[in-house]
Amino acid sequence: MIHLDTVSWRRARKDPAPVLSRLSFSVPQGGFRWLLGPSGAGKSSLLSLLHVETLPTSGRMVVLGQPVNDEQKRATFVMLRRRIGMIHQDFRLMPGLSVADNIALPMRLQNRPEDEIRDEIRSILKWVGLSEYHDAPAERLSGGEQQRTAIARAIIHRPGLILADEPTNALEESQAHRLLDMFAELSAMGSTVIVATHNEALVRRLPHPALFLERGHLVSDETPPL
Amino acid sequence: MSRRSTRRRDGLSLSETLPDRGLFALVAMVGFLAALTLAGACGARALSARWAGGAAQLVVIQVPQPDQPARQASGGVQAPGEQSRADAVQAALVSLPAGSIVHRLSAQELGNLLEPWLGSGLKGQTATSPSAMPLPAVLRVELPDSTLPPATLEQDLSAVAPGVIVERNSLWSTRLHALANSLLACAGLALLSVCGVATLITGLTTRAGLASRRDVITTLHGLGASDGYIAGRFARRTASLAFGGGLTGTVLACVPLFALLQITAPFTAEADGVPATATQNSLTGQDAFLGSMPSDLLIGLGCLPLAAALICWLTTQLIVRLWLRRLP
Repeated sequence: MIHLDTVSWRRARKDPAPVLSRLSFSVPQGGFRWLLGPSGAGKSSLLSLLHVETLPTSGRMVVLGQPVNDEQKRATFVMLRRRIGMIHQDFRLMPGLSVADNIALPMRLQNRPEDEIRDEIRSILKWVGLSEYHDAPAERLSGGEQQRTAIARAIIHRPGLILADEPTNALEESQAHRLLDMFAELSAMGSTVIVATHNEALVRRLPHPALFLERGHLVSDETPPL
Repeated sequence: MSRRSTRRRDGLSLSETLPDRGLFALVAMVGFLAALTLAGACGARALSARWAGGAAQLVVIQVPQPDQPARQASGGVQAPGEQSRADAVQAALVSLPAGSIVHRLSAQELGNLLEPWLGSGLKGQTATSPSAMPLPAVLRVELPDSTLPPATLEQDLSAVAPGVIVERNSLWSTRLHALANSLLACAGLALLSVCGVATLITGLTTRAGLASRRDVITTLHGLGASDGYIAGRFARRTASLAFGGGLTGTVLACVPLFALLQITAPFTAEADGVPATATQNSLTGQDAFLGSMPSDLLIGLGCLPLAAALICWLTTQLIVRLWLRRLP
């Protein structure tokens, strides 16, 4: 469950205007939300906030049932981030590591057994169509392949919350549709999914409630008109 | 795939971030200095102990005209008629603390003692020889540890042998002890400075490593890496480099230390009652080095690489954890 109550966020305390201003919305566990809005509206900032990469400047925020504020212990945020799968716009793959090692990172950081990690990698690589790139260095892949690797890394540990920032940018249409189907499946299995996108065709294909952001303000929290 | 090898595949690439050359070489130099400083500290401490235990407990008594008959003590006790002044003084020393060792230097020992000033003609001379230079009898008194001669010792001895001279070393000993303690304090400060330099070097290296891996660390942090994991990875790397550097520096410092111990061996051996030649002849090579090295210095040198590793590990842990504080 995600709940924001008049949450604001400034990049620096002295900044005159907040990047995100008095956002209030809720997403139930297993819910799916599109995050829409023009460039610079604050979509990526909101996803970073939900990923606990930064803390709200004011307001009350609860992610996966856990209050997020500066009174919490750091270990709480570490455990929370382990339950979130984040797909960044710039992929953020580890240079010098193979595709398999990149995908394995979230599970290895949780000290999961190597046998289990190997099995999961095999099946997820097959699913994203990168089986033949198991040992390939991540930086040698094409943009689309890197994006699929980043997606595989974000979902391999079955996170309770999936945050995706323009996840279909570098994907072909068929792959984008497959990805959306997978998000819908994960949502149905209980994961909360929030996807920021500019791709209206995708939104039309998968009608779900959307959060519209404009200049850091939430202007609408409804299912988009078809 | 072992657990150890998989844990390291996290993109930090610390062998590139914290390369061997810089930290290893700097810690080796610091280790070299620390080893020499440690040797200095051990030397100062040994010197202090020797001075405290030796000079302070030593009293030298000179009895002029030793063979003249002693006079009656003021207390009314008559010295035996045939008793010489020297014998009377020696007999009066029974009032010293139990365990005191009184030794009257023989004519031969006295001759050896004065040979540098008066030549070898004095050897074998006795006070009764016609051409004899009038020599006093010299009594060497070693007091047990932590005891002092009676304050009235000179007065008591003068009663049986007027003109007796009592030389107490306690004043010199106090000054020497203070000097040795000052040397020890200086060595301690130098050792602290060396530790400070090691900390500074580690801090700068770690900060440079953090700056060059900022993006990777941020991503790892986002994937759920704890502060302890990231700090531990950096700390293990700097500690292993510091251990290697400290070991190299210590081994290198053994060369000048060995030379120094060879030079000082005659003094320490003779002071310990062992002929210097015997010490030098019976030991060779590594045995000679280990044999001549004081055990506390040997232990200190053995601990140096571990101490360097510990300092670097703690410094890195602190700096990385503080750096990570900027992330939630």
